[in-house]
Amino acid sequence: MNEPQKRISDKALSVWRMTGAFSSVIVAIMAGGVISLSSIFSWPVWIPIAGIVVAILHVYLYVYLFPLLRWKRWRYEVREQEIELQQGIFVVKRTLVPMIRVQHVDTRQGPLLKKYGLATVDVSTAATVHEIPALPMEEAEELRLFISRLARVADEDV
Amino acid sequence: MSNSKRLHPISAVTNFFKQLKELIVPFVAFFVFGTRASEGDLWFFGGSIAVVLVVLGIGVLNWLRFSYRLEEGELRMEYGLLVRKKRYIPFDRIQSLDFSEGILHRPFGLVKVKVETAGSSGADAEAVLTAITKEEANWIKETIAQAKNTLAEETMDTKVEDIVEENVIYKISFKELLLLATTSGGVGVVLSALVAFLSQLDDFIPYESAYREVEKMISNGVVIIAVLVFLGFLFAWMVALIGTMVKYAQFTVKKTEREIIISRGLLEKRQITIPLNRIQAVRISENILRQPFGLCSVHIISAGGSVRNTEGSKVMLLPAVKRVEVATILGDHLPISTPVLPFNKLPKRAFPRYLIRGSLMVVPVFIAAVAIFKLWGLLSIVLFLFSGIWSYLKYKDAGWSIEGQQLNIQYRSLIKNTLFMKKHNVQSLDYKESIFQKRKNLASMTSLIKSGMGAVGGTIVDIEKEEAKEIYQWYSYSRKAPF
Repeated sequence: MNEPQKRISDKALSVWRMTGAFSSVIVAIMAGGVISLSSIFSWPVWIPIAGIVVAILHVYLYVYLFPLLRWKRWRYEVREQEIELQQGIFVVKRTLVPMIRVQHVDTRQGPLLKKYGLATVDVSTAATVHEIPALPMEEAEELRLFISRLARVADEDV
Repeated sequence: MSNSKRLHPISAVTNFFKQLKELIVPFVAFFVFGTRASEGDLWFFGGSIAVVLVVLGIGVLNWLRFSYRLEEGELRMEYGLLVRKKRYIPFDRIQSLDFSEGILHRPFGLVKVKVETAGSSGADAEAVLTAITKEEANWIKETIAQAKNTLAEETMDTKVEDIVEENVIYKISFKELLLLATTSGGVGVVLSALVAFLSQLDDFIPYESAYREVEKMISNGVVIIAVLVFLGFLFAWMVALIGTMVKYAQFTVKKTEREIIISRGLLEKRQITIPLNRIQAVRISENILRQPFGLCSVHIISAGGSVRNTEGSKVMLLPAVKRVEVATILGDHLPISTPVLPFNKLPKRAFPRYLIRGSLMVVPVFIAAVAIFKLWGLLSIVLFLFSGIWSYLKYKDAGWSIEGQQLNIQYRSLIKNTLFMKKHNVQSLDYKESIFQKRKNLASMTSLIKSGMGAVGGTIVDIEKEEAKEIYQWYSYSRKAPF
């Protein structure tokens, strides 16, 4: 299959792993709560075990597996006439956004992305918003200018 | 161009009723859940009267504070009770003016004017003059039209016609009105309202002694009960029937050079105008009750409307007509054609997936039923039969076709829908393929179009992969094949 060519920054992996780790900490705290509760009220032994399993599984999935699969899948390509995106972990989704439908382009950057020198590009049509996550800052900036220039050329009504 | 004017005083009354309508929910909640203690009654009564008086006062003050004028090519409005607001709308931003007449308007020859603007800021996309005289409304309409025309003549060389030609495309017949009313889903609503109402009357109706009577009656004969229940249903059905007929009476669709004008209603006349260039898609819906009659309803999905008011984004164009006649009625009046086509159907191997998806929704209900009702819960196995039939219909009805620059998608939720859209109105297209679909060489397609401020999508699930690629290819603007 002829997929879109460009990948997003490999630093995206680290960003996603960080956010995954944050949520894992929360899950671990909840699991800890369940374990201590079950020792206080002497609940059946499978409950704390389940808590531990869930916590470990969460770390494996959200810190290791999902970010990796997600990064491997993420592709994009910006052509004269259209933007093509590919994403998804279990469901591969490919999206076409024609240039003449693009209304505006934004770049944005949270604290985590900033730390890694990354930015996210949002492409908005009259009805939908499409996100290209975690591009190197200069590349995001270039892309924004590039798309907005092409989109202006292709002006037409909704 | 004109002095500032007030609305007709009746608008204070309509304001009052509108506010009161919003208060009805808390009032009903109070009535339903409120205390039954007799000492609370006086407070409740006095409080209600105070609230009503305050609301009336606010309605009058709002009317006093509202003024409008046409000045320097703008519709200028000033209003606001505590915060004074000024709103100036340039004529050339005004998309359309819609006149409607409520029950209160009609005796005084008044209309409510809704000003639809091309604003993109959502909530501000419209302004309303609650009640002005018909002459005044027509004068405003003409003034704006003239101003726009001179503007157009200045900028372009093309001469704009002074007289707007109106073609009546469709007028509902009595037979269609009757069919529409009998097959509308309004019966359920009326019925549940009736039940809710009756259940609140146990203070006034001595149910206990009534039950004793009923017991006697049962011993006398079940027939009477059956008749009573039947009469109840018949009553609910009649109410819904008349309600729908009044609402959709005189349903008329007109077309001018640049817009579609729909008007309807017997007691309350409503009118809605859709500029042709705001039309994004046409949807034909066939509900289960209407399908046997070959009837369908046609909606226009337009880019109009606002966040607060979604009415403008999905507008009923034809309430109940024969599916085969749609194309004849609409002809080439719309930018989108609605032919009856042979649709490309789904491959047979998609059917099991539809069946499984349908049953998966029923499984939790089944398990819960067995857990709670034990053996009797097994009866809920019937649900699988229903979900099976429904899945089959969904599978059978899904389809797609491409006609030049137009994509048509057919799918069923509860209602069978057919969505017709032009390529340049599709905002984006998604091709999806899950792990399980990949194994069977299937895929899903979603095309998104603008509707009001949001998006609506037409999705077909489990289409042949090669066909999905074909649609994707068709939508792609680049010469290079994406697949």
